[in-house]
Amino acid sequence: MTLRLAAFGLITSLFVGVIYVITKPLIIAAKEEARLEQLYALAEPLLVDGAIQTPVRKELASNAPATLERPLLITPIANATDQIGSVIPFKSTEGYSGTIQLLIALDQNQRIIGLRAIDHKETPGLGDKIDTRKTDWILSFNGLAYRDLSPDDWAVDKDGGRFDSFTGATITPRAVVNALKDTLRYLDENPDVLEVGQ
Amino acid sequence: MKIVTLWLDGIWDRNPGLIQLLGLCPLLAVSNTLENAFGLGLATLFVLVLSNASVSLIRNLVDDAIRLPVFVLVIAALTTCAELLVQAFDYPLYQSLGIFLPLIVTNCLILGRAEALARREPFVVSTMDGLAQGLGFFLVLVSLGALREWASETLILAALPPGAFIALGLLVALHQVIQSKLKHLRTQIIANTKDRRVRTTGDIS
Repeated sequence: MTLRLAAFGLITSLFVGVIYVITKPLIIAAKEEARLEQLYALAEPLLVDGAIQTPVRKELASNAPATLERPLLITPIANATDQIGSVIPFKSTEGYSGTIQLLIALDQNQRIIGLRAIDHKETPGLGDKIDTRKTDWILSFNGLAYRDLSPDDWAVDKDGGRFDSFTGATITPRAVVNALKDTLRYLDENPDVLEVGQ
Repeated sequence: MKIVTLWLDGIWDRNPGLIQLLGLCPLLAVSNTLENAFGLGLATLFVLVLSNASVSLIRNLVDDAIRLPVFVLVIAALTTCAELLVQAFDYPLYQSLGIFLPLIVTNCLILGRAEALARREPFVVSTMDGLAQGLGFFLVLVSLGALREWASETLILAALPPGAFIALGLLVALHQVIQSKLKHLRTQIIANTKDRRVRTTGDIS
């Protein structure tokens, strides 16, 4: 009977494997489409006189924070002559469950144009308030640049900072704000990271 | 006759959502909008029909020692497939259902039907039962979703978790009222036929 159980395990795994192989390209395409859609929504103010360019992968120095993926995928936004902004992904591993994937659009002065949590597994009803489908919390960062606030202000209010932490779910907003702070500080100190030669 | 009873049981008499009160967690969590309810209802129906069908097919191959692990294996595999398919064909729906899509695996309705019926009955009966029970669950989920989405326009409570309990309570109450009316009607009809029989026996004696 143990053998039979193992056989059933094998058969069901094979079945899932087949479906996985069939749906994989479709899932990748669907994810890419969702990412692009999000990109357009995020960088909308910049698209008045700019256009989304082909993404560029760039190696980062070893002092870059862990919130940035290496190599970093930079999607430049440019008008006829200059790069007027960029969209980059970053992440936080300090959320309540799993990695929170975020996407940020910055203008050429590194002012936040848009910020979104694009993939996360935070608790429904508590931590998922970082999602624009639930609340507008994440839009409160729009228009800010790293130098607008003192370093201590870049934190949730529970930690003495400027940003609202949700009742009962401080871990999630804290994870987002801290990852954002690390990312922005690094970019502020190394502004050339985002510059992409066309 | 058996098939008719199966359908009646699944959709009305022993409706999984309103009478058996199974699968309450997704029922309450995902019914905040009609679209989510529809999507999860379909995914659950898909898993339930296929799990009933496959459990029935393998019913003679498993003994009591490995029955439960094999059933759970089958249900988990089917749920994973449902998750992959939703992800491939309706990515926004996948995103808004979130954790509740993989959680279909813990919906006790599915293991319940495998244990209670599909492991003893032939393929056609089991598949029909999966369809009937799944449809019953789907209908409750969709009604709840529609009710809450409609009510939340004027009453914000309807969109919040407590609203889900209240709305489900109202649906259960409505079901009970109609059910008791039907029962009353049924007993009246039976009483009428009994009356005649009494007279017949009376004549003989």
